[in-house]
Amino acid sequence: MMRNRVVITGMSVVSALGDSPARLYASLCEGRSGIKPVRGFSTAGLGCPLGGEIADFDAANYLGQRNLRPLDRTSRLVASAAQLALEDSGWSADVRKGDEVGLVLGTMFCSVHTISEFDRRALEAGPAYASPMDFSNTVINAAAGQTAIVHDLRGVNTTISTGVTSGLAAIAYATDLIRSGRAHALLAGGADELCFESFYGFDRAGLLCRSDNCAGDFPIPFDARRNGSALGEGAALLMLEDAALARKRGARVLGEVRGHGASYDCSRGHDDKESVEAVAYAIRQALHDAFMLPNEIDCLSASANGSELGDRHEAYGVFAGLNGQTHRLPVTAVKSMLGETLGASGPMQTVALLETMRDGVLPGIPQLETIEDGFPLEMARAESQEAEVINGLINSVGLDGHCCSLILSQCDR
Amino acid sequence: MDHRIVITGIGVVTPIGTGCEGFWRNLLAGYSGIAPVQSFDTSGYNVHRGAEVKEFNAKEYTLNLDAAHLGRASQFAIAASRLALADAGVEIRSIDLKRAGVSMGTTSGEPREVERFDDSYVSKDLGRIGPEFLSLYPCHVIAAHVASELHFAGVNTMIPTACAAGNYAIAHALDVLRAGRADLMLAGGSDAFSRITFTGFARLGAVAPEICQPFDRFRKGMIPAEGAGVLVLESLSRARKRGARIYAEVAGYGLSCDAHHMTAAHPQGDGAARAMQQALADSRTEPEEVSYISAHGTGTPTNDRLETIAVKRLFKDAAYRIPISSIKSMLGHTMGAASAIEAAVCALAVFHDCVPPTINLNEPDPDCDLDYVPNYARRLRVNVAMNNAYAFGGNNASLILRKWELSN
Repeated sequence: MMRNRVVITGMSVVSALGDSPARLYASLCEGRSGIKPVRGFSTAGLGCPLGGEIADFDAANYLGQRNLRPLDRTSRLVASAAQLALEDSGWSADVRKGDEVGLVLGTMFCSVHTISEFDRRALEAGPAYASPMDFSNTVINAAAGQTAIVHDLRGVNTTISTGVTSGLAAIAYATDLIRSGRAHALLAGGADELCFESFYGFDRAGLLCRSDNCAGDFPIPFDARRNGSALGEGAALLMLEDAALARKRGARVLGEVRGHGASYDCSRGHDDKESVEAVAYAIRQALHDAFMLPNEIDCLSASANGSELGDRHEAYGVFAGLNGQTHRLPVTAVKSMLGETLGASGPMQTVALLETMRDGVLPGIPQLETIEDGFPLEMARAESQEAEVINGLINSVGLDGHCCSLILSQCDR
Repeated sequence: MDHRIVITGIGVVTPIGTGCEGFWRNLLAGYSGIAPVQSFDTSGYNVHRGAEVKEFNAKEYTLNLDAAHLGRASQFAIAASRLALADAGVEIRSIDLKRAGVSMGTTSGEPREVERFDDSYVSKDLGRIGPEFLSLYPCHVIAAHVASELHFAGVNTMIPTACAAGNYAIAHALDVLRAGRADLMLAGGSDAFSRITFTGFARLGAVAPEICQPFDRFRKGMIPAEGAGVLVLESLSRARKRGARIYAEVAGYGLSCDAHHMTAAHPQGDGAARAMQQALADSRTEPEEVSYISAHGTGTPTNDRLETIAVKRLFKDAAYRIPISSIKSMLGHTMGAASAIEAAVCALAVFHDCVPPTINLNEPDPDCDLDYVPNYARRLRVNVAMNNAYAFGGNNASLILRKWELSN
């Protein structure tokens, strides 16, 4: 079947480590962490006080003086990132007429905080006092809908919610729509906010790093001493476009989405063999989709976030998926500094990897001292390393069994 | 790789029946599932009726997971999936599980879990909420639970595009199969009756006090409901090879966004018409070929008027010749499940050459002057059915099903 090639013509991030790809990348390469004690809500009584929070986020900096009252934090993050990505790609408002651009957003919770507050107000004050405006934000596609209104995006508008893999799955979904000609230009990526409700859930589930540990306060992916992740927040979007049409409008091209694959671990992390195989299968599917061999992959951007089980399944799954060819594979795990940003995580990895492709430096994994015994990832380093990346593999491995892998390539090769 | 994708199994859990056969019979007979709400106390509200699924026993369908530790939307989704597979005559042992996937839609995911969180928060007893909150609440658990129950290890997608989610999920499954990423997909939607949803629609003044009367001059609103609909999708060649009964071909779809208002549709039906237009183009269908339209038809004064405008905008004079019905008159609005159940209805209409009625339609509205199949089911040749769904966020999705014998 004929398929259109899909290129990336713009990108944006709003993150704890800066609101531009360049600032994010510089921080990651310097090993600076965005994970600090949470200020937005009280963590008293919880096991972990840390989060990758965006300090002083103000959507008016990106969207100007418009009425932002109908948008909750998640919607503001997405609308801000959309503004930046539209500008970066050259699809700013003045050149668009209508439905040229759509939006595919990955989010795990959209805003469980908004949902919960709406419900709590009805409980405390009575149903007659619940806010109709808040109700419109309780749907999980609210951020995508609000962003479409702010930027007049009348093309396809889809929300994907598969937990941690939401954002990468959204890029995969958008890629297929462009390949098959259903869309020509799509903003694709993801977002999640840091809020008490989701933080509480992760904390109670025992997934967050414990600060009483001798390893310090950070999540340390792949390290033998890791004891959990930190939650983060943010939004990251890519402008994906049909390559031929991007060329025609003279767009600058940052990279190409070569292939993607997905799988599901039916044991949801409870059976090592099944979990490892699920990671491997998604990678094999991505290679197959990209018509590529394992030895063509120059770099891995791992999903690893410091989780005891998840990191292990990923380490062995990558080894299996790449037919054992991981000994010279440079590895990065940006969640060591950003925290687990859920729906935003895969797109943030994508943005960081595109910067690496351009600049040749791969961020390290700060505080990494001893990789867990047996992990076949010899090239994971605490310090950033030089890496010439032509084809990079991005992994997203979820809590509930979702696996997604994506292969990015430099375009002029 | 086969471009043609067909529906070979249907599973539904609805307020008027669980299982395809009983549901279809009740639908044609014009049964209503609307009754006083039982899942929670509505005394603080000014409306009290809903359409809940009664006498549902999750344990009957959940054989591998523990039904007691699943949210209600997951329970519905698993039941509908099992029913659909049985209806399709698919034996799980006979399929390559890595090539079997799930694509589900929802509005709220598992809202009762967050409601439980809120109850505890408000009563200052949050300690009652433990690790189960994270494993039961996020909406992706619906697709995850279905896959875990059935050991489906392929693509697993959750699309929470509110009240149009079922159509989005089916459209995605179509693309996954066409791209050769899976051999078999379970696609549909699920939502559980929820205090949050009920409160929200009540506050919008959108809930009808007694009955749901889409397109009637005196219609007073929608009725919140719950349920699930799941379809088995596979390639035509695979279906024929295994001698499966084929309900209909999924011929194409269209998606659009109003980018106008979070809860109100575009005043000229712009996005809705574009989604329909794209679905026709995608499936290479001429407007006059459409035999039946399953309307979004919520029963709110605005929706039904604007939907009528959108249909006329696209179909022009032909709009008056196409039978249109809203099964929400009987089921209420099952949210993210609605368009999945309605897609099942379209498949059944194409298969049986019969369309369900819009009940409670007694007084014609001058603004809604099309043929809405009032009160009685109708026998007619259904070659092509169009399934329309519209959602909060301005998300519009139209799906085209056709008789598989008629190839375009």
